[in-house]
Amino acid sequence: MKALKYDPLDIVVTGVGGQGNVLASQVLGLALLTAGYEVTVGETYGLSQRGGSVTSQVRVSSGPVLGPMMPDHRATAIVSLEPLEALRLLGVYGHPGVVVLTNDRPLRPLGVLAGEQLYPEPAELRATLESLCAKLYWLPATAAALELGNHILANVVLLGALCGLDLLPIGAAEVEAALGDMFPESKMALNREALAKGLALVRAA
Amino acid sequence: MADVSKLAPGQKVLMQGNEAIARGALEAGVSLAAAYPGNPSSEILQTLADSARSAGIYVEWSTNEKVALESAAAASYAGLRGMASMKQNGVNVAQDFICNLTISGTKGGLVLVTCDDPSGVSSTNEQDARFIARVACLPLLEPATPAECLKLTKLAFELSEQIGNLVVLRGLARLSHTRAGVTPGPLPEAKPRPHWDPNERWFTIPVVPRHQVMLDKLAQAGELIAAAGVNYYDGPVRPELLVIASGSSRLYADEARRLVGAGGRVGILHMGATWPLDQELILEHLARADKILFAEEVDPHIESGVKSIYAQHVRELGLKDFYGQETGHKPPIGELSPSRVAAAMADILGLPWQETDPAYLAKAKAAQALVAPRQVGFCPGCPHRASYWSMKQVLSADGREGIVSGDIGCYTMGVLPTGYERVNAVHCMGSGPGIASGLGKLRSQGFEQPVISVVGDSTFFHAALPALVNARWNNSDYVLVVLDNSATAMTGFQPHPGTGSTAMGQAGTAVDVEQICAGLGLPYTVLDPYDLEATQEALYDALQIGGGLRVLIFRRTCALVQNKRGGHPWRMSVDPQLCRGEDCGCDRFCTRVFRCPGLVFDQATGKTVLDEVVCVGCGVCAQICPAGAIKARPKEATA
Amino acid sequence: MVPPAASPAPQPTGLERLLAEVINPGLCVACGACLGLCPHLIFLDGQVAAPDACGLTSGRCYGFCPVAQRDVSRESQGPIGPVLGAWQGRATSKDLQGRVQYGGVVSELLALALDQSMVREAVVTAAGLRGTPQGIRVTERTGVLGAAGSVYAGGGALSSLNQALSEDSNHPLAVVGLPCQVQAVQAMKAHPQQPQAARRIHLVIGLFCTMNLPWRGLRKLLARHGVQAPLSRADFPPPPAGIFQAWSNGSYHELPLDQVRALSYPGCAGCPDLTSDGADLSVGACEGKPGWNTILARTHAGAGLLELAAGKGLLELEPAQPASMEHLTQAASDKRKRATAWSEERRHG
Repeated sequence: MKALKYDPLDIVVTGVGGQGNVLASQVLGLALLTAGYEVTVGETYGLSQRGGSVTSQVRVSSGPVLGPMMPDHRATAIVSLEPLEALRLLGVYGHPGVVVLTNDRPLRPLGVLAGEQLYPEPAELRATLESLCAKLYWLPATAAALELGNHILANVVLLGALCGLDLLPIGAAEVEAALGDMFPESKMALNREALAKGLALVRAA
Repeated sequence: MADVSKLAPGQKVLMQGNEAIARGALEAGVSLAAAYPGNPSSEILQTLADSARSAGIYVEWSTNEKVALESAAAASYAGLRGMASMKQNGVNVAQDFICNLTISGTKGGLVLVTCDDPSGVSSTNEQDARFIARVACLPLLEPATPAECLKLTKLAFELSEQIGNLVVLRGLARLSHTRAGVTPGPLPEAKPRPHWDPNERWFTIPVVPRHQVMLDKLAQAGELIAAAGVNYYDGPVRPELLVIASGSSRLYADEARRLVGAGGRVGILHMGATWPLDQELILEHLARADKILFAEEVDPHIESGVKSIYAQHVRELGLKDFYGQETGHKPPIGELSPSRVAAAMADILGLPWQETDPAYLAKAKAAQALVAPRQVGFCPGCPHRASYWSMKQVLSADGREGIVSGDIGCYTMGVLPTGYERVNAVHCMGSGPGIASGLGKLRSQGFEQPVISVVGDSTFFHAALPALVNARWNNSDYVLVVLDNSATAMTGFQPHPGTGSTAMGQAGTAVDVEQICAGLGLPYTVLDPYDLEATQEALYDALQIGGGLRVLIFRRTCALVQNKRGGHPWRMSVDPQLCRGEDCGCDRFCTRVFRCPGLVFDQATGKTVLDEVVCVGCGVCAQICPAGAIKARPKEATA
Repeated sequence: MVPPAASPAPQPTGLERLLAEVINPGLCVACGACLGLCPHLIFLDGQVAAPDACGLTSGRCYGFCPVAQRDVSRESQGPIGPVLGAWQGRATSKDLQGRVQYGGVVSELLALALDQSMVREAVVTAAGLRGTPQGIRVTERTGVLGAAGSVYAGGGALSSLNQALSEDSNHPLAVVGLPCQVQAVQAMKAHPQQPQAARRIHLVIGLFCTMNLPWRGLRKLLARHGVQAPLSRADFPPPPAGIFQAWSNGSYHELPLDQVRALSYPGCAGCPDLTSDGADLSVGACEGKPGWNTILARTHAGAGLLELAAGKGLLELEPAQPASMEHLTQAASDKRKRATAWSEERRHG
């Protein structure tokens, strides 16, 4: 079992209800558990399908079992399926050393759709995120998923991207194996492609 | 959910807290499990339902939590093990039965699981249901991890059978939905055949001697709990600070002492069982520390119990400093977190504590000005949006300041902007028609406002019926609107009596809302809420009639369910030539007022555009567009 | 430090103000001028309502409202307004007699205007769902005759006029209305955001108005007296009769007039106009001559139409009796005084 570069390794996975971040955190948790680490995946949902923010916390350690909630402003990385959600969570878990991986595709809150609130311009949002983390990966995950034919694969694209960073004690092969435990083989070809696209995105970044 | 009966014993798997409770129940040999859906508890019964066939057990969604526990108690009296699971509100529903059951006692192991929801993430309150243990003198177990969920569920059944009384297992939303490593044990080989010995009788009289028996059982439970080792201490022999904690707070305390760098100075008394409190263990640890901090959610359940024990032994223990709810070191409201416990510890021990660089914090906080809140609302195509639209229009046109008495379900979101904030009161399951019944009898006192009570189809069966009978009997004057979306949508689309299917997927007998209305002698009309004009005409007429209880059934399948059943009939589009957008006298009527997420106000063009990914094609917005710009065409014609 | 004096923000002239000044205090008289302009103002069962805030600070709804825009002190050409000619008359058609109010003059004039293509469409009031009076749009004689007869209840008919004006069309329109509605049509014609009103409304026939009733209240009162809506016709004979006559499903009923009058819109108390001063032609009951109308021709267009009708033998006309005109003027003057007093009281009390 490889030593953890960060112990605890605290990864926040966030997005909007229906984007598949709960699934992504489950896959990640399963891969890390299989690799022999202590894993706690904390989730909050309830109204997730109704436009709310959904956040999972993947907590990994070599030692004691960790609680389902990580301390504020201590996350190792924030993985976000929606860029505004990344900024929201930096307000809770961010610190100067945090790494942020985010999908660049906005999903506008109801108040913005209604014309009552503003969604920041992409450039402003990106610059703000950059100013609040050690390293920002601003990735076209939805676009990559759409190239594969389904926007829902953005979560797997981001998992692939996460595997390309030197944060996890495991690689894409272990994540792929965990996906294989949760999906029928018929769906795995697309999942493999999505992982590969994510890896490629982060290497190009 | 997965079939957890198929898991290999001894092989560690990633499992959710609720799934681990289900697996624990199977390992304990549960024969009958019943529940009413309610987040965060719903996955327990769903998991058992999905495992029921292979495990050979009976699992049901019951009409409400009281009935669920009564069904489970029947298994106990027949010598089998039974379990009822519910959210914290459900304990209140079941409470009357619980407070009598605890006097009569039980035979086969009987366990009540309550999943509390601190911060009320998916609830109307954040009630701490541990009160029931004190009120009904029941043993109470509080796991901290999914692995403990499995272990303590098994212990709960054992304990129940040993003392002959119900045992309560208390989960928390975070724990219920946390996934962590769990190592399943073996499943039982055979279960006894159910039989109720006719010589065994279960009732509460004579009350006073039976009351004593109940107390004796609790005392016996205390001894068994102490022997089970579920309460344990972790830390230096004489800690500077003793933390007494239960549930997830135990893990927060453990992490907090590392965060503030006080690992060697802080000891934690882990309370896996918090009723009855293990007095001997508590006294032993109080004697070794002068500062005591409590970490628990939400009420000061352990705090008050420990202080009560301390008061009886203050001479031998000497003066102590207690930190908790009374001193502000544990918030009286909301969830606890590792950071909150760390801040409390640092304060008590005089240690420095900051979450991160203050300059960063200030910058991150300032940046939140860019972040629009993400408010929850009705889904695209949700029939409730159409229903509330009609209620809003009609009540306004009626002009007599009509009142909408709300209830529990997705349609509770009628209090929010997507429901046009048209609901005046929401409390618990079934309270809507009850309040309406009272309002409808204030006519004699001069109350002239029309009254609508809204209930979902699942709520109708859960707790609305007695209120309806009451209204019928007493001739209360109001309109009941049954928002029938043919699903228990809020909690994950569980079946209910009206759907006719059951937890185990078998065909039950559908209980018909119309037949119930007819049986009560109530006039009713079935309407399609997507048809705004017909709905509004019928609702207006119903409000004008007066003089008794009238029922309108707004029937339209939940949009999410419909999406899985082949979707909606329309392909919608917005004609940019006709859309008046911001310039129209109506000022963005569809996006600002109607507020379906499928319609997006495009700042660049000043017009509405349709989000084809989000729009499901219900066709309702075409009826409200004043310019006729929103078009609905049949999907088939364009496919 | 004293902040520099800011120029006062212009007072809003939109829905919010309409609600505050007219609808919420219960002064709306259901003329319909604010309806059909936007989706925020709705009309159901004889009553105007606004379920949502519209967010705009100015709107035609307020600009058209005769209650909001009412100015009782305005200069007027005498109590009964400008008059080119005063007549009494009735329709000669046997069809109309008995079905219509008094002499059938309004129906005949309107039908003629359509027949002659002087206008191509007319907005009138007729019974709709639940018997509720509502605006309808007619394009030919049969439609006019179908709507003949008054029930003295507000029907928001100008909603239909607004709808017609909002359509991409240029044909000329006629409208028949009560004094409040005629006032609203004048406001529409003068409103900078409604240029099509002045261009397209070619004929306004005003009615004399001594009583206008909220339909919901009238329906409930009728029900209490065992009369089922809809009404085919209603009337109240001159004093000292003291009765309200209602025809429903071929049967005839009488209600005590004081009970009916008590239902009147509170907003009518401030109306100074008995005879629809701003119309092309004003028509009402002819005192002392049952089955006849008093007709005031106020504009050349109105006078021309009247002349044409008489020339074609559709109307039987005679000059109005001086005594009758004297009484009408007195009644109009009294209404104006009552309105002034009411307005003063509201302003100061």
